[in-house]
Amino acid sequence: MSGVAAEADSSLVVVRGARAGAAIALDDVSLRIDAGAGEVEILRNASLHVGAGEFVCLLGPSGSGKSTILNLVAGLAQPTSGRVLRGEVPIAGPGPDRAVVFQDAALFPWLTLRRNVEYPLELQGLGKRERAAKSEELLRLVHLWRFKDQYPHELSGGMRQRGAIARALATDPAVLLMDEPFAALDAQTREILQGEVERIWSATRKTIVFVTHNVREAVRLADRIVLMGTRPGRILHEETVDLPRPRAANDARVAELANGIAQRIASEVEKVAREEADDAWVAPGGAGRRDSRRAMGRAV
Amino acid sequence: MRALVTSVARLLVGYSVALAIGVPLGTALARSRLVKQSIGPIVLGLSSVPSICWLPLAILWFGLSEWAIQLVVVLGAALPVAVATENSVRHVPPSIERAARTMGARGARLMLTVTMPAALPGILGGAKVGWTFALRSLMAGELLFVSGGLGQLLETGRDLGDTALVLAVVVVIVALGRASEVLLFSRADRAIARRWGMEAA
Repeated sequence: MSGVAAEADSSLVVVRGARAGAAIALDDVSLRIDAGAGEVEILRNASLHVGAGEFVCLLGPSGSGKSTILNLVAGLAQPTSGRVLRGEVPIAGPGPDRAVVFQDAALFPWLTLRRNVEYPLELQGLGKRERAAKSEELLRLVHLWRFKDQYPHELSGGMRQRGAIARALATDPAVLLMDEPFAALDAQTREILQGEVERIWSATRKTIVFVTHNVREAVRLADRIVLMGTRPGRILHEETVDLPRPRAANDARVAELANGIAQRIASEVEKVAREEADDAWVAPGGAGRRDSRRAMGRAV
Repeated sequence: MRALVTSVARLLVGYSVALAIGVPLGTALARSRLVKQSIGPIVLGLSSVPSICWLPLAILWFGLSEWAIQLVVVLGAALPVAVATENSVRHVPPSIERAARTMGARGARLMLTVTMPAALPGILGGAKVGWTFALRSLMAGELLFVSGGLGQLLETGRDLGDTALVLAVVVVIVALGRASEVLLFSRADRAIARRWGMEAA
Protein backbone atom coordinates (compact mmCIF):
# COMPACT_ATOMS: atom_id res chain seq x y z
CA MET A 1 0.00 0.00 0.00
CA SER A 2 2.77 2.44 0.88
CA GLY A 3 4.23 1.67 -2.53
CA VAL A 4 1.05 2.84 -4.17
CA ALA A 5 1.04 6.08 -2.22
CA ALA A 6 4.67 6.74 -3.06
CA GLU A 7 3.93 6.03 -6.70
CA ALA A 8 1.06 8.51 -6.76
CA ASP A 9 3.35 11.13 -5.21
CA SER A 10 6.11 10.63 -7.73
CA SER A 11 3.71 10.87 -10.64
CA LEU A 12 2.48 14.19 -9.28
CA VAL A 13 6.04 15.42 -9.24
CA VAL A 14 6.43 14.35 -12.84
CA VAL A 15 3.28 16.17 -13.89
CA ARG A 16 4.46 19.36 -12.26
CA GLY A 17 7.90 19.02 -13.77
CA ALA A 18 6.63 17.89 -17.13
CA ARG A 19 8.44 20.62 -19.01
CA ALA A 20 11.67 20.26 -17.10
CA GLY A 21 11.90 16.48 -17.25
CA ALA A 22 10.01 13.83 -19.12
CA ALA A 23 7.75 11.04 -17.90
CA ILE A 24 10.00 8.71 -19.87
CA ALA A 25 13.38 9.37 -21.36
CA LEU A 26 15.71 7.23 -23.43
CA ASP A 27 19.20 8.60 -23.44
CA ASP A 28 21.36 7.26 -26.29
CA VAL A 29 20.11 3.71 -25.77
CA SER A 30 21.50 0.72 -27.68
CA LEU A 31 20.65 -2.93 -27.34
CA ARG A 32 22.64 -5.80 -28.76
CA ILE A 33 21.86 -9.42 -28.14
CA ASP A 34 23.94 -12.53 -28.62
CA ALA A 35 22.07 -14.56 -31.23
CA GLY A 36 24.35 -17.58 -31.37
CA ALA A 37 25.90 -16.75 -34.73
CA GLY A 38 27.20 -13.44 -33.38
CA GLU A 39 25.86 -10.22 -31.96
CA VAL A 40 22.73 -8.67 -33.43
CA GLU A 41 22.11 -4.98 -33.02
CA ILE A 42 18.44 -4.58 -32.11
CA LEU A 43 18.45 -0.88 -31.37
CA ARG A 44 21.09 1.76 -32.09
CA ASN A 45 21.55 5.06 -30.28
CA ALA A 46 17.91 5.81 -29.60
CA SER A 47 17.06 8.99 -27.74
CA LEU A 48 13.48 9.85 -26.95
CA HIS A 49 11.60 12.03 -24.49
CA VAL A 50 7.96 11.45 -23.68
CA GLY A 51 6.24 14.14 -21.64
CA ALA A 52 3.75 13.38 -18.88
CA GLY A 53 0.27 12.94 -20.33
CA GLU A 54 1.59 12.73 -23.88
CA PHE A 55 0.37 10.17 -26.42
CA VAL A 56 3.33 8.94 -28.47
CA CYS A 57 3.17 6.34 -31.23
CA LEU A 58 6.23 4.36 -32.27
CA LEU A 59 5.74 3.56 -35.94
CA GLY A 60 7.87 1.36 -38.12
CA PRO A 61 8.16 -1.99 -39.90
CA SER A 62 8.98 -5.19 -38.04
CA GLY A 63 12.55 -5.30 -36.82
CA SER A 64 12.74 -1.55 -36.27
CA GLY A 65 13.08 -1.89 -32.53
CA LYS A 66 9.76 -0.31 -31.59
CA SER A 67 8.67 -3.17 -29.36
CA THR A 68 12.19 -3.21 -27.95
CA ILE A 69 11.80 0.37 -26.79
CA LEU A 70 8.53 -0.62 -25.12
CA ASN A 71 10.20 -3.57 -23.36
CA LEU A 72 13.01 -1.33 -22.17
CA VAL A 73 10.53 1.15 -20.70
CA ALA A 74 8.51 -1.71 -19.20
CA GLY A 75 11.69 -2.97 -17.57
CA LEU A 76 11.43 -6.35 -19.29
CA ALA A 77 14.75 -5.74 -21.04
CA GLN A 78 17.90 -3.87 -20.09
CA PRO A 79 19.89 -1.71 -22.54
CA THR A 80 23.42 -2.67 -23.53
CA SER A 81 24.38 0.99 -23.31
CA GLY A 82 22.63 4.25 -22.54
CA ARG A 83 19.98 4.97 -19.92
CA VAL A 84 16.22 4.52 -19.72
CA LEU A 85 14.64 6.88 -17.21
CA ARG A 86 11.23 7.14 -15.63
CA GLY A 87 11.13 10.69 -14.32
CA GLU A 88 14.69 11.10 -13.09
CA VAL A 89 15.12 7.50 -12.01
CA PRO A 90 16.73 4.77 -14.14
CA ILE A 91 14.34 1.89 -14.80
CA ALA A 92 15.66 -1.25 -13.13
CA GLY A 93 12.79 -3.66 -13.75
CA PRO A 94 9.07 -4.02 -14.29
CA GLY A 95 6.76 -2.12 -11.97
CA PRO A 96 3.06 -1.39 -11.56
CA ASP A 97 3.65 2.27 -12.45
CA ARG A 98 4.16 1.15 -16.07
CA ALA A 99 1.42 -1.17 -17.34
CA VAL A 100 1.66 -3.06 -20.62
CA VAL A 101 -1.05 -4.17 -23.03
CA PHE A 102 0.24 -6.94 -25.29
CA GLN A 103 -0.79 -7.81 -28.83
CA ASP A 104 -2.30 -11.13 -27.71
CA ALA A 105 -4.02 -9.54 -24.67
CA ALA A 106 -2.27 -12.09 -22.41
CA LEU A 107 -5.26 -12.47 -20.13
CA PHE A 108 -4.92 -15.44 -17.79
CA PRO A 109 -7.08 -18.23 -19.26
CA TRP A 110 -7.82 -19.84 -15.89
CA LEU A 111 -9.38 -16.69 -14.41
CA THR A 112 -12.66 -14.99 -15.21
CA LEU A 113 -12.50 -11.55 -16.74
CA ARG A 114 -13.20 -9.97 -13.39
CA ARG A 115 -10.54 -12.02 -11.58
CA ASN A 116 -8.09 -11.08 -14.33
CA VAL A 117 -8.68 -7.41 -13.65
CA GLU A 118 -8.36 -8.03 -9.91
CA TYR A 119 -5.08 -9.94 -10.19
CA PRO A 120 -2.79 -6.88 -10.13
CA LEU A 121 -4.84 -5.48 -7.23
CA GLU A 122 -4.34 -8.73 -5.35
CA LEU A 123 -0.60 -8.41 -5.89
CA GLN A 124 -0.78 -4.99 -4.30
CA GLY A 125 -2.50 -6.44 -1.27
CA LEU A 126 -5.88 -4.77 -1.69
CA GLY A 127 -8.80 -6.20 0.26
CA LYS A 128 -11.64 -8.08 -1.32
CA ARG A 129 -14.13 -5.23 -1.22
CA GLU A 130 -11.72 -2.68 -2.69
CA ARG A 131 -10.81 -5.10 -5.45
CA ALA A 132 -14.45 -5.70 -6.30
CA ALA A 133 -15.19 -1.97 -6.43
CA LYS A 134 -12.18 -1.22 -8.59
CA SER A 135 -12.75 -4.08 -11.03
CA GLU A 136 -16.39 -3.06 -11.45
CA GLU A 137 -15.39 0.51 -12.20
CA LEU A 138 -12.81 -0.61 -14.77
CA LEU A 139 -15.02 -3.17 -16.48
CA ARG A 140 -17.74 -0.57 -16.81
CA LEU A 141 -15.19 1.84 -18.26
CA VAL A 142 -14.42 -0.63 -21.08
CA HIS A 143 -18.07 -1.73 -21.41
CA LEU A 144 -17.47 -5.33 -20.34
CA TRP A 145 -19.28 -5.42 -17.01
CA ARG A 146 -21.91 -7.77 -18.34
CA PHE A 147 -19.19 -10.29 -19.25
CA LYS A 148 -17.38 -10.20 -15.93
CA ASP A 149 -17.83 -13.90 -15.19
CA GLN A 150 -16.73 -15.16 -18.61
CA TYR A 151 -13.40 -16.79 -19.22
CA PRO A 152 -11.08 -15.19 -21.81
CA HIS A 153 -11.67 -17.89 -24.43
CA GLU A 154 -15.38 -17.06 -24.36
CA LEU A 155 -14.69 -13.47 -25.45
CA SER A 156 -13.96 -12.06 -28.90
CA GLY A 157 -10.53 -10.68 -29.74
CA GLY A 158 -11.70 -7.10 -29.31
CA MET A 159 -13.30 -7.87 -25.95
CA ARG A 160 -10.11 -9.52 -24.77
CA GLN A 161 -8.13 -6.42 -25.66
CA ARG A 162 -10.59 -4.22 -23.79
CA GLY A 163 -10.25 -6.57 -20.83
CA ALA A 164 -6.46 -6.31 -21.07
CA ILE A 165 -6.76 -2.52 -21.07
CA ALA A 166 -8.95 -2.65 -17.96
CA ARG A 167 -6.42 -4.92 -16.24
CA ALA A 168 -3.56 -2.60 -17.23
CA LEU A 169 -5.40 0.38 -15.74
CA ALA A 170 -6.10 -1.46 -12.47
CA THR A 171 -2.94 -0.32 -10.70
CA ASP A 172 -3.58 3.24 -11.88
CA PRO A 173 -0.23 3.40 -13.70
CA ALA A 174 1.19 6.75 -14.75
CA VAL A 175 2.40 5.19 -17.99
CA LEU A 176 0.49 2.87 -20.29
CA LEU A 177 2.56 0.91 -22.79
CA MET A 178 0.67 -0.66 -25.68
CA ASP A 179 2.44 -3.15 -27.95
CA GLU A 180 0.47 -3.41 -31.22
CA PRO A 181 -2.65 -4.07 -29.17
CA PHE A 182 -5.05 -4.03 -32.13
CA ALA A 183 -2.87 -5.65 -34.80
CA ALA A 184 -4.74 -8.96 -34.69
CA LEU A 185 -8.22 -7.41 -34.88
CA ASP A 186 -10.47 -6.81 -37.86
CA ALA A 187 -10.63 -3.27 -39.24
CA GLN A 188 -14.01 -2.31 -37.74
CA THR A 189 -13.15 -3.54 -34.26
CA ARG A 190 -9.81 -1.80 -34.49
CA GLU A 191 -11.44 1.54 -35.24
CA ILE A 192 -13.86 1.18 -32.35
CA LEU A 193 -11.04 0.36 -29.96
CA GLN A 194 -8.96 3.26 -31.23
CA GLY A 195 -11.86 5.50 -30.28
CA GLU A 196 -12.00 3.83 -26.85
CA VAL A 197 -8.29 4.37 -26.25
CA GLU A 198 -8.57 8.02 -27.25
CA ARG A 199 -11.51 8.42 -24.89
CA ILE A 200 -9.77 6.68 -21.99
CA TRP A 201 -6.64 8.72 -22.59
CA SER A 202 -8.64 11.96 -22.61
CA ALA A 203 -10.39 10.94 -19.39
CA THR A 204 -7.34 9.73 -17.46
CA ARG A 205 -4.47 11.69 -19.07
CA LYS A 206 -2.12 8.75 -18.81
CA THR A 207 1.18 8.93 -20.59
CA ILE A 208 0.75 6.46 -23.45
CA VAL A 209 3.42 4.90 -25.61
CA PHE A 210 1.71 2.98 -28.39
CA VAL A 211 3.56 0.70 -30.80
CA THR A 212 2.04 0.09 -34.22
CA HIS A 213 2.98 -0.59 -37.82
CA ASN A 214 -0.31 0.94 -38.98
CA VAL A 215 0.31 4.48 -40.18
CA ARG A 216 -3.31 5.58 -40.04
CA GLU A 217 -3.67 4.24 -36.50
CA ALA A 218 -0.64 6.25 -35.44
CA VAL A 219 -1.94 9.43 -37.05
CA ARG A 220 -5.36 9.00 -35.53
CA LEU A 221 -4.09 8.47 -31.98
CA ALA A 222 -0.79 10.22 -31.44
CA ASP A 223 0.28 13.65 -30.32
CA ARG A 224 3.63 12.75 -31.76
CA ILE A 225 4.78 9.94 -34.05
CA VAL A 226 8.26 8.50 -33.81
CA LEU A 227 9.25 6.89 -37.11
CA MET A 228 11.62 3.98 -36.86
CA GLY A 229 13.86 2.17 -39.34
CA THR A 230 15.43 -1.26 -39.53
CA ARG A 231 18.79 -3.04 -39.66
CA PRO A 232 19.65 -1.86 -37.12
CA GLY A 233 16.51 -0.67 -35.37
CA ARG A 234 16.76 3.06 -34.88
CA ILE A 235 14.76 6.27 -34.62
CA LEU A 236 14.58 8.07 -37.95
CA HIS A 237 12.39 11.05 -37.43
CA GLU A 238 9.66 12.55 -35.28
CA GLU A 239 6.42 14.03 -36.49
CA THR A 240 3.99 16.09 -34.45
CA VAL A 241 0.32 15.44 -35.19
CA ASP A 242 -1.53 18.69 -34.68
CA LEU A 243 -5.09 17.66 -35.50
CA PRO A 244 -8.11 18.41 -33.26
CA ARG A 245 -9.54 15.61 -31.10
CA PRO A 246 -11.48 13.44 -31.06
CA ARG A 247 -10.33 12.37 -34.47
CA ALA A 248 -12.23 10.17 -36.86
CA ALA A 249 -10.41 7.39 -38.67
CA ASN A 250 -11.92 8.49 -42.00
CA ASP A 251 -11.05 12.17 -41.48
CA ALA A 252 -9.48 13.57 -44.67
CA ARG A 253 -6.67 15.25 -42.74
CA VAL A 254 -5.82 12.00 -40.99
CA ALA A 255 -5.69 10.23 -44.35
CA GLU A 256 -3.55 12.94 -45.91
CA LEU A 257 -1.01 12.96 -43.12
CA ALA A 258 -0.97 9.16 -43.11
CA ASN A 259 -0.21 9.05 -46.82
CA GLY A 260 2.68 11.44 -46.42
CA ILE A 261 4.19 9.37 -43.63
CA ALA A 262 3.58 6.10 -45.48
CA GLN A 263 5.66 7.41 -48.39
CA ARG A 264 8.44 8.35 -46.07
CA ILE A 265 8.72 4.92 -44.54
CA ALA A 266 8.11 3.04 -47.83
CA SER A 267 11.82 2.57 -48.40
CA GLU A 268 12.22 1.04 -44.94
CA VAL A 269 9.28 -1.29 -45.38
CA GLU A 270 10.57 -2.39 -48.75
CA LYS A 271 13.99 -3.06 -47.28
CA VAL A 272 12.41 -5.54 -44.88
CA ALA A 273 10.37 -7.15 -47.66
CA ARG A 274 13.51 -7.64 -49.73
CA GLU A 275 15.45 -9.17 -46.88
CA GLU A 276 12.63 -11.52 -45.99
CA ALA A 277 12.21 -12.76 -49.54
CA ASP A 278 14.40 -15.63 -50.72
CA ASP A 279 15.43 -14.05 -54.02
CA ALA A 280 15.93 -10.63 -55.55
CA TRP A 281 12.24 -9.84 -55.23
CA VAL A 282 11.25 -6.19 -55.43
CA ALA A 283 8.06 -4.89 -53.87
CA PRO A 284 5.29 -4.32 -56.45
CA GLY A 285 5.45 -0.86 -57.97
CA GLY A 286 9.00 -0.52 -56.79
CA ALA A 287 10.93 -0.50 -60.06
CA GLY A 288 11.93 2.83 -61.54
CA ARG A 289 11.25 4.92 -58.47
CA ARG A 290 14.17 3.64 -56.53
CA ASP A 291 16.34 6.74 -56.82
CA SER A 292 13.72 9.18 -55.71
CA ARG A 293 12.80 6.90 -52.84
CA ARG A 294 16.41 6.69 -51.74
CA ALA A 295 16.53 10.44 -51.71
CA MET A 296 13.40 10.44 -49.57
CA GLY A 297 14.90 7.86 -47.29
CA ARG A 298 17.83 10.11 -46.71
CA ALA A 299 15.59 13.06 -46.02
CA VAL A 300 13.76 10.97 -43.44
CA MET B 1 -10.96 -57.15 -0.44
CA ARG B 2 -8.04 -56.70 1.87
CA ALA B 3 -5.75 -57.09 -1.11
CA LEU B 4 -7.56 -54.22 -2.84
CA VAL B 5 -7.23 -51.94 0.17
CA THR B 6 -3.53 -52.77 0.50
CA SER B 7 -2.87 -52.03 -3.16
CA VAL B 8 -4.88 -48.80 -3.26
CA ALA B 9 -3.16 -47.53 -0.12
CA ARG B 10 0.24 -48.23 -1.65
CA LEU B 11 -0.82 -46.59 -4.87
CA LEU B 12 -2.00 -43.42 -3.15
CA VAL B 13 1.13 -43.08 -1.05
CA GLY B 14 3.51 -43.81 -3.90
CA TYR B 15 1.63 -41.60 -6.33
CA SER B 16 1.53 -38.65 -3.91
CA VAL B 17 5.26 -38.92 -3.37
CA ALA B 18 5.76 -39.19 -7.12
CA LEU B 19 3.78 -35.98 -7.72
CA ALA B 20 5.64 -34.22 -4.93
CA ILE B 21 8.91 -35.13 -6.62
CA GLY B 22 7.89 -34.98 -10.27
CA VAL B 23 6.23 -31.54 -10.42
CA PRO B 24 9.05 -29.59 -8.72
CA LEU B 25 11.65 -31.59 -10.63
CA GLY B 26 9.95 -30.86 -13.95
CA THR B 27 9.64 -27.16 -13.07
CA ALA B 28 13.31 -26.99 -12.18
CA LEU B 29 14.20 -28.72 -15.43
CA ALA B 30 12.19 -26.18 -17.39
CA ARG B 31 13.50 -23.14 -15.58
CA SER B 32 17.07 -23.77 -14.53
CA ARG B 33 19.70 -24.20 -17.15
CA LEU B 34 22.02 -25.72 -14.58
CA VAL B 35 19.48 -28.35 -13.57
CA LYS B 36 18.57 -29.05 -17.19
CA GLN B 37 22.14 -29.55 -18.30
CA SER B 38 23.25 -31.50 -15.27
CA ILE B 39 20.38 -33.94 -14.69
CA GLY B 40 18.13 -33.43 -17.72
CA PRO B 41 19.68 -36.25 -19.79
CA ILE B 42 19.64 -38.55 -16.76
CA VAL B 43 15.94 -37.97 -16.14
CA LEU B 44 15.10 -38.56 -19.79
CA GLY B 45 17.23 -41.68 -19.87
CA LEU B 46 15.86 -43.11 -16.66
CA SER B 47 12.28 -42.44 -17.69
CA SER B 48 12.74 -44.93 -20.52
CA VAL B 49 13.68 -47.69 -18.04
CA PRO B 50 10.64 -49.85 -17.21
CA SER B 51 10.20 -49.19 -13.53
CA ILE B 52 10.01 -52.87 -12.63
CA CYS B 53 13.70 -53.06 -13.54
CA TRP B 54 14.33 -51.16 -10.32
CA LEU B 55 12.85 -53.94 -8.22
CA PRO B 56 16.01 -56.04 -7.85
CA LEU B 57 17.92 -52.94 -6.74
CA ALA B 58 15.11 -51.95 -4.40
CA ILE B 59 15.15 -55.40 -2.80
CA LEU B 60 18.91 -55.21 -2.36
CA TRP B 61 18.55 -51.86 -0.64
CA PHE B 62 15.41 -52.29 1.38
CA GLY B 63 14.87 -56.04 1.53
CA LEU B 64 11.45 -57.53 0.88
CA SER B 65 9.72 -54.57 2.46
CA GLU B 66 7.11 -51.94 1.80
CA TRP B 67 9.93 -49.53 0.94
CA ALA B 68 11.13 -51.66 -1.94
CA ILE B 69 7.75 -51.72 -3.60
CA GLN B 70 7.19 -48.00 -3.00
CA LEU B 71 10.50 -47.17 -4.63
CA VAL B 72 9.33 -48.93 -7.78
CA VAL B 73 5.99 -47.11 -7.78
CA VAL B 74 7.56 -43.70 -7.12
CA LEU B 75 10.23 -44.10 -9.79
CA GLY B 76 7.69 -45.38 -12.26
CA ALA B 77 5.35 -42.42 -11.79
CA ALA B 78 7.62 -39.49 -10.91
CA LEU B 79 9.65 -39.49 -14.11
CA PRO B 80 6.76 -39.18 -16.60
CA VAL B 81 5.23 -36.51 -14.36
CA ALA B 82 8.53 -34.63 -14.37
CA VAL B 83 8.87 -34.85 -18.16
CA ALA B 84 5.29 -33.66 -18.74
CA THR B 85 5.67 -30.83 -16.22
CA GLU B 86 8.88 -29.71 -17.84
CA ASN B 87 7.22 -29.56 -21.23
CA SER B 88 4.15 -27.70 -20.10
CA VAL B 89 6.06 -25.15 -18.02
CA ARG B 90 8.37 -24.56 -20.97
CA HIS B 91 5.39 -23.91 -23.21
CA VAL B 92 3.61 -21.36 -21.03
CA PRO B 93 3.13 -18.40 -23.40
CA PRO B 94 5.85 -15.87 -22.57
CA SER B 95 3.43 -12.95 -22.80
CA ILE B 96 1.43 -14.36 -19.87
CA GLU B 97 4.43 -14.30 -17.58
CA ARG B 98 5.63 -10.99 -18.94
CA ALA B 99 2.20 -9.49 -18.27
CA ALA B 100 2.33 -10.76 -14.69
CA ARG B 101 5.82 -9.35 -14.23
CA THR B 102 4.73 -5.91 -15.42
CA MET B 103 2.07 -6.03 -12.72
CA GLY B 104 4.74 -6.63 -10.12
CA ALA B 105 4.65 -10.43 -9.72
CA ARG B 106 7.99 -12.14 -9.30
CA GLY B 107 9.74 -15.10 -7.77
CA ALA B 108 7.68 -17.72 -5.97
CA ARG B 109 4.52 -15.64 -6.28
CA LEU B 110 4.87 -15.50 -10.06
CA MET B 111 5.52 -19.24 -10.15
CA LEU B 112 2.56 -20.18 -7.96
CA THR B 113 -0.07 -17.74 -9.18
CA VAL B 114 0.78 -17.61 -12.89
CA THR B 115 3.26 -20.15 -14.22
CA MET B 116 1.79 -23.20 -12.50
CA PRO B 117 -1.86 -22.44 -13.32
CA ALA B 118 -0.86 -21.67 -16.90
CA ALA B 119 0.93 -25.02 -17.14
CA LEU B 120 -1.85 -26.91 -15.39
CA PRO B 121 -3.48 -28.60 -18.41
CA GLY B 122 -0.14 -30.15 -19.38
CA ILE B 123 0.71 -31.06 -15.80
CA LEU B 124 -2.65 -32.77 -15.43
CA GLY B 125 -1.91 -34.79 -18.55
CA GLY B 126 1.38 -35.85 -17.00
CA ALA B 127 -0.38 -36.69 -13.75
CA LYS B 128 -2.72 -39.05 -15.59
CA VAL B 129 0.14 -40.81 -17.32
CA GLY B 130 1.90 -40.97 -13.96
CA TRP B 131 -1.13 -42.60 -12.38
CA THR B 132 -1.27 -45.42 -14.91
CA PHE B 133 2.48 -45.88 -14.64
CA ALA B 134 2.15 -46.09 -10.86
CA LEU B 135 -0.60 -48.70 -11.16
CA ARG B 136 1.40 -50.80 -13.60
CA SER B 137 4.57 -50.60 -11.53
CA LEU B 138 2.66 -51.58 -8.42
CA MET B 139 1.04 -54.60 -10.04
CA ALA B 140 4.34 -55.77 -11.48
CA GLY B 141 6.03 -55.29 -8.14
CA GLU B 142 3.34 -57.15 -6.25
CA LEU B 143 3.45 -60.02 -8.71
CA LEU B 144 7.10 -60.50 -8.02
CA PHE B 145 7.13 -60.76 -4.27
CA VAL B 146 4.97 -61.62 -1.34
CA SER B 147 3.14 -58.48 -0.50
CA GLY B 148 -0.54 -58.91 0.22
CA GLY B 149 -1.78 -56.77 -2.67
CA LEU B 150 -3.79 -57.48 -5.81
CA GLY B 151 -0.68 -58.58 -7.65
CA GLN B 152 -0.06 -61.27 -5.11
CA LEU B 153 -3.66 -62.44 -5.43
CA LEU B 154 -3.04 -62.90 -9.15
CA GLU B 155 0.03 -64.94 -8.37
CA THR B 156 -1.96 -67.04 -5.88
CA GLY B 157 -4.62 -67.67 -8.53
CA ARG B 158 -1.99 -68.87 -10.92
CA ASP B 159 -0.45 -71.16 -8.31
CA LEU B 160 -3.83 -72.71 -7.59
CA GLY B 161 -4.76 -72.93 -11.26
CA ASP B 162 -7.79 -70.79 -10.40
CA THR B 163 -8.59 -68.99 -13.67
CA ALA B 164 -11.72 -67.46 -12.19
CA LEU B 165 -9.71 -65.80 -9.44
CA VAL B 166 -7.15 -64.47 -11.91
CA LEU B 167 -9.84 -63.04 -14.18
CA ALA B 168 -11.70 -61.59 -11.23
CA VAL B 169 -8.59 -59.75 -10.09
CA VAL B 170 -8.06 -58.39 -13.60
CA VAL B 171 -11.64 -57.11 -13.56
CA VAL B 172 -10.96 -55.44 -10.22
CA ILE B 173 -7.85 -53.77 -11.64
CA VAL B 174 -9.81 -52.47 -14.63
CA ALA B 175 -12.48 -51.14 -12.25
CA LEU B 176 -9.77 -49.51 -10.15
CA GLY B 177 -8.34 -47.73 -13.17
CA ARG B 178 -11.76 -46.54 -14.27
CA ALA B 179 -12.77 -45.43 -10.78
CA SER B 180 -9.60 -43.44 -10.34
CA GLU B 181 -10.23 -41.76 -13.67
CA VAL B 182 -13.70 -40.71 -12.54
CA LEU B 183 -12.79 -39.80 -8.96
CA LEU B 184 -9.47 -38.10 -9.50
CA PHE B 185 -9.33 -36.65 -12.96
CA SER B 186 -12.68 -36.06 -14.60
CA ARG B 187 -13.59 -33.09 -12.42
CA ALA B 188 -10.24 -31.46 -13.04
CA ASP B 189 -10.61 -32.21 -16.74
CA ARG B 190 -14.00 -30.56 -16.89
CA ALA B 191 -12.83 -27.49 -14.99
CA ILE B 192 -9.92 -27.06 -17.36
CA ALA B 193 -12.08 -27.65 -20.42
CA ARG B 194 -14.46 -24.95 -19.24
CA ARG B 195 -11.76 -22.42 -18.56
CA TRP B 196 -9.44 -23.04 -21.46
CA GLY B 197 -12.25 -23.67 -23.91
CA MET B 198 -11.21 -27.18 -24.84
CA GLU B 199 -13.53 -30.04 -25.59
CA ALA B 200 -14.19 -32.21 -22.57
CA ALA B 201 -12.73 -35.64 -23.18
